[in-house]
Amino acid sequence: MRWLNASLLVGLVLTLAAISVALLSLVWLPYHPNIPNIPERMLPPGAPGHPLGTDTLGRDIVAQLMVGARTSMLVGAGGATISLTLGTLLGLWAAATGRMTDEAISRLADIMLSIPGMVTALVLAATLGSGMWTTILALSAFFTPSFIRVSRSAALAVLQEDFVTAARLYGRGRLFVLARHVLPNIAGVLIVQFTLYFAAGILTEAGLSYLGVGMSRPGISWGLMLNEAQNTVGVSSPLALWPGLAIVVVVLGLNLLGDGLRDVLDPKLARRAA
Amino acid sequence: MTPLLELDAVTQAYPLPRDRLFGPRRSLTVLDGVDFAVGEGEAVGLVGESGAGKTTMTRAMLGMETPRGGAVRFDGRDLREMGPDERRAFRRAVQVVMQNPRSSLDPRMSVGRSLLEPLRALGVAEDHAARVREVIGQVGLTESALARYPHEFSGGQLQRIAIARALAPRPRVLIADEPVSALDVSIQAQVLNLLKDLVDELGLSMVLIAHDLAVVAYSTSRVSVIAGGRIVEQGAPRDLFVHPEAEATRNLVDAVLTMEDGLAGRGLAAGAAATPPVTSHQARRGR
Amino acid sequence: MSGADNAIEVRDLFVGNGDLTAVQGVSFTIPAGGRMGLVGESGSGKSMTALGIMGLLPAGWHVRGSVRHDGVDLVGQSDRQMSKRRGRTISMVFQDPLSALDPVRRVGRQVTSILRRHLDLSAAEAERQALDLFAQINLPEPARILRAYPHELSGGQRQRIMIAMALACYPQLIIADEPTTALDVTVQKQVLRILDAAVRERGSALLMITHNLPIIAAICDSVAVMYAGRIVEAGPVAQVFRTPRHRYTQGLLRSQPTMDNISFDAGARLPAIPGMVPPLTDLPPGCPFHPRCAAASALCRTRMPPFEGAPHGAACWHPADGAGEAP
Repeated sequence: MRWLNASLLVGLVLTLAAISVALLSLVWLPYHPNIPNIPERMLPPGAPGHPLGTDTLGRDIVAQLMVGARTSMLVGAGGATISLTLGTLLGLWAAATGRMTDEAISRLADIMLSIPGMVTALVLAATLGSGMWTTILALSAFFTPSFIRVSRSAALAVLQEDFVTAARLYGRGRLFVLARHVLPNIAGVLIVQFTLYFAAGILTEAGLSYLGVGMSRPGISWGLMLNEAQNTVGVSSPLALWPGLAIVVVVLGLNLLGDGLRDVLDPKLARRAA
Repeated sequence: MTPLLELDAVTQAYPLPRDRLFGPRRSLTVLDGVDFAVGEGEAVGLVGESGAGKTTMTRAMLGMETPRGGAVRFDGRDLREMGPDERRAFRRAVQVVMQNPRSSLDPRMSVGRSLLEPLRALGVAEDHAARVREVIGQVGLTESALARYPHEFSGGQLQRIAIARALAPRPRVLIADEPVSALDVSIQAQVLNLLKDLVDELGLSMVLIAHDLAVVAYSTSRVSVIAGGRIVEQGAPRDLFVHPEAEATRNLVDAVLTMEDGLAGRGLAAGAAATPPVTSHQARRGR
Repeated sequence: MSGADNAIEVRDLFVGNGDLTAVQGVSFTIPAGGRMGLVGESGSGKSMTALGIMGLLPAGWHVRGSVRHDGVDLVGQSDRQMSKRRGRTISMVFQDPLSALDPVRRVGRQVTSILRRHLDLSAAEAERQALDLFAQINLPEPARILRAYPHELSGGQRQRIMIAMALACYPQLIIADEPTTALDVTVQKQVLRILDAAVRERGSALLMITHNLPIIAAICDSVAVMYAGRIVEAGPVAQVFRTPRHRYTQGLLRSQPTMDNISFDAGARLPAIPGMVPPLTDLPPGCPFHPRCAAASALCRTRMPPFEGAPHGAACWHPADGAGEAP
């Protein structure tokens, strides 16, 4: 099968694995991830009942990683979905109306892109308090301009095509052209963009939590685990290794998925193969 | 013969950016008093170099732009005076086949869906599915094409599909804008023959726009030559090509390479072929 | 015959990408100063033949066979060796001059850099030569054009500059791939005339790739017709065009609307070749033209006809004997 390339397959497996773990965490966890168990603190990996060991307060690492996966998925998907929706709507609007609206939306995107994402996140955390929703909001503000740009330029290319002229000649309105001609033709690009920003969202969330402006207990994220582990680096068991590894695997999976989808969905490639 | 679709002294101009911030407003005249008409059941040709105004004329005939001066009439009615119903009837009656068939069909729509599009959009009161099957047969393709997507077809087949789409709403005028110049040479004759047959069988009127004189001469009974936004000459193909009068026509005729001249060793001999200087007009138009 | 007096000798050239073979055993020779036309449609392999000779194939494509030129076999030359050659002993003119010229460099710089690289000229000397070249290709105001950017010039001017660049170093062979297809008709003849004169003046050989038969009649002395990756007919232009032997050549000559065969009768029809060019991935067995050929027999459906005849030969089981095109 032509469409099943290696990076798509590996990416799909890794991503589905991460999603499954996140879903599983909703119904089953080996231990409570937040209640300390001092007698069993700092167990090394492979300890009975704790395959990856425990942290400084004796909390099970596996349980924490599972809840962390849920956070990562929610934050990544939430940020990417909101910015995909908002960015695509604005991008299409800009491309279809042109002139003043286009100028306004494009400049807005430029301004948003010129503000460093971390600054946005810090300001939001300071005003709204840190937490998952604040992080999602920060990511959306951070990613939306990119989606505006991508969808706008892809839409402009489609709007140049003769089939759009034909539709206008039949009296089709702007909304019809956008929904039935433009959107299907740029969907591939947007889906690829979505997976890449899903991954970027997970990375950014980890960074924010590591800095202490993302998740905090009782919430758990891989970035928070890294933050807590930094005091123990070099002391004993590789506490920082597990969340770091989880981030690498999931981000790699999503990026591979994006690359694989790009190859499959690019209509130009399909055309060449025909 | 009363003209079916007619440009009457059409003038069109586009604003140009000012030279200086508060400089005078300037504009570029693209069409300058163009008269052009196609009668019921008639096939006429339009030739000219790029930048001469062919594209703007086409857009005016399709109602895609409103000229600054003069009038575009369909069946004697000025397009500007048409109400919504008349306008819809006009949209249905005048259909276009464009140069690049890959661009004129949506790659994400099946061929069948693309052929349904004009019927639905124009509200054609007829069994749509039956009409689609009929037109795909008229252009020499089978119904199995309907479920497939554009990338599965060759350029020649796609142009047939584009022609089928133009036929679907039962137009009275077919505007064919360079319909074969993007096709393989062994396919061009097929498509030209198909257009000719359809015009004959269905009693369609056709406007064929092309830069290739031989193509136009083959397909039409009357040809207009456009240069610099004006129709400079008009007549039967044979007369134009044997006794060209306007300079633009002569240049076009002289530019034609023929097999006989080539084999006789005089293929590149200078006819009148004056070097057409690239005017600032063309340089600005050709983006 | 020694290779020295030929501009190029191509033997059994194969160009492919994985399972796909775009050029299947093409052979031809162009003597020094000779001009050959290569006719073919999209998918015929004509452009891949040119790119294979030039060593300019896209990634993933490979060449097999031999291409003798200037005493060496170009197949198997390293990219470095080829880039020393390109523009110097062998050069190419592309269809679209706008994409072949660097949009952000003045055309003068682009021309002089070739001269300086290949001929070791000083900047001033190169500029003088460039002005000479521009005068030869009838460019008005050569000094102004030297300082212009590609987008400031017309299509015809750009293509003439491409020709000037291709000819700058007096190459032994120029490959022109559809050099006038993107130009306005009224400019085509003029550009061809300049190409013709410049090639003649330098004694260069020319490989003209086009689907436009009258151009080949006007500018070439021999012609090869390609179909589905093979040369199906070749020979002196007058013989091939006046008495085509392959049914495909015959069909092309008859079906192309030209001012020679045009009939002004309203009822006239072009004798079109039926069917379509087969995709390379799905070639029919036997002669690849047989599904479109009126003369096809059982033999044509099963066995590939050999190329026979010299100097005018064809690969056809049932070659036409008579006149193809009514003069």
